[in-house]
Formats: sequence, structure tokens, C-alpha cells
Amino acid sequence: MEIKIIDRDGAKIIALSGDIDIYTSPEVRKQLLRMVDQRISVIMVDLTDVAYIDSSGIATFVEGLKGMMSYSGRLKFFGMPERVKEIFNFSKLDKVFDMYGSMEDALKN
Amino acid sequence: MITVPSHPKYLSLIRAVTVMIGTQNKVDETVIRHMEHAVDEACSNVIKHAYAGDPNEQIGVTLRISPEAFEVIIEDSGLKADVASIKGRGLDDIRPGGLGVHLIKRACDVFEFDEEKKKGNRLRLVKYLKVQNGNKDNRP
Repeated sequence: MEIKIIDRDGAKIIALSGDIDIYTSPEVRKQLLRMVDQRISVIMVDLTDVAYIDSSGIATFVEGLKGMMSYSGRLKFFGMPERVKEIFNFSKLDKVFDMYGSMEDALKN
Repeated sequence: MITVPSHPKYLSLIRAVTVMIGTQNKVDETVIRHMEHAVDEACSNVIKHAYAGDPNEQIGVTLRISPEAFEVIIEDSGLKADVASIKGRGLDDIRPGGLGVHLIKRACDVFEFDEEKKKGNRLRLVKYLKVQNGNKDNRP
């Protein structure tokens, strides 16, 4: 699992690659919650190169979203591979997360 | 049976073996993907609950494929699971946690603990496979 933090047009992008499971999600959680603590208004998560996500990864993003709701921040996802999207859909999180096909779409909206 | 330490870094290995066995036996891709999730979530639960995060214990995983079923047995020697209390969150209740059980139940036709095992847990997961010719469900 690799995590890159990128600044782009006023937004912070967390670019993830590899598998998100209980071994790797604590680091994702640490990075995400650090941004939430800083009250970053728009956080975008690039999942293009994520091959696998388990329930701990999903829980991490739910926790991040709940933290951002306290200051009306927005958590956006883009580049979600089909098998990752399937887990978001199964857990009904497609209804609460902002999901976009590309980074450009996520930045525009 | 493969036996690995109860450290989360070995979960990727267990997932890879699950996928490899399914693929080599020409199991349907969706079934493999769902079983990969189920086995991963079950082993994560062993690490988190049975061993309370201790990475120095052991997890045994046995995978069997027959024309009828994809079966996985997961064994540990940790704290007994409280079977009655195992239930996921409602899927409409959006909060962290509680999704793993749903991913296991989605994948498997059988999700049962061997209550006769004295020390630790033995979890049996089974997905019944469909017969290729005639598309008949082999579930007994």
C-alpha cells in the first residue's frame, strides 16, 4: 500500500494504491483524520490503483466523512475500480459519498 | 491447511491463496471474489477478536474445492466467539464497523462455528457451486 498526498486547486488528494485491509487501513486512517483535524474543506481520495478494500477500509472512510460533516467539509472519491465500487454499493455508501469518474470531475463539482 | 501468524500482514497471503485455488479450479470469478472477501474478513475477526490483536498466535486455513462446493475452514486457539452476538450493523445504518459479517454472509451459503471445538474457534464457510452443464444448483 502506498499513500501519496497531493495539493491540487485548493483540494487535498489522498492517492492510494495496493490493498486496503486491516494491515494498511490504520495508516490511511491516520492521514485522513489528520486532514479532518485540520478542517480541510475538500478531501479527494484517488482509488484508481486500489486493488482491494475490506470492511476496515470502508469504516475508515465513514469515520472520515462523519468527522468532516461537523464542519461541512466534503469527502470525494474518484477513479474507483469496479470491484471497489461493488463494496461501496453493497454497503450502501454510494448513497452518502460523492463519487466521480475522474479527478477533473471531482474538482469541478 | 496453511498456517500463518496472526499478524495482519499475512492477510494478503491468505487472500492470494484463496483466489489461486478458486482460479485453478475454474470457479466462477464472482464466487472467488466474494470468497476472498469472506475469508479475509473472517481472518481479520480472528486477529481482532479471538487474539485481541496479538500477532504471535496462529491461524489455520483449509481450502477445499469439490464439484459441489468451495469450502474454507478457519481455525484459531483464541477466545471463543460469542456466536449469538455476531451480527452486522443494518446496512442502512451508516457508521464505521459492522460490515464484515455482511460480506461473509453475502459470499457463503454456510457460515457456522463448530461448537464442539473445546479451545478456540473453527469456522466453516461453504459456497455451493452450480453444475456447469445444465446450470443446476447443487445445493442439497
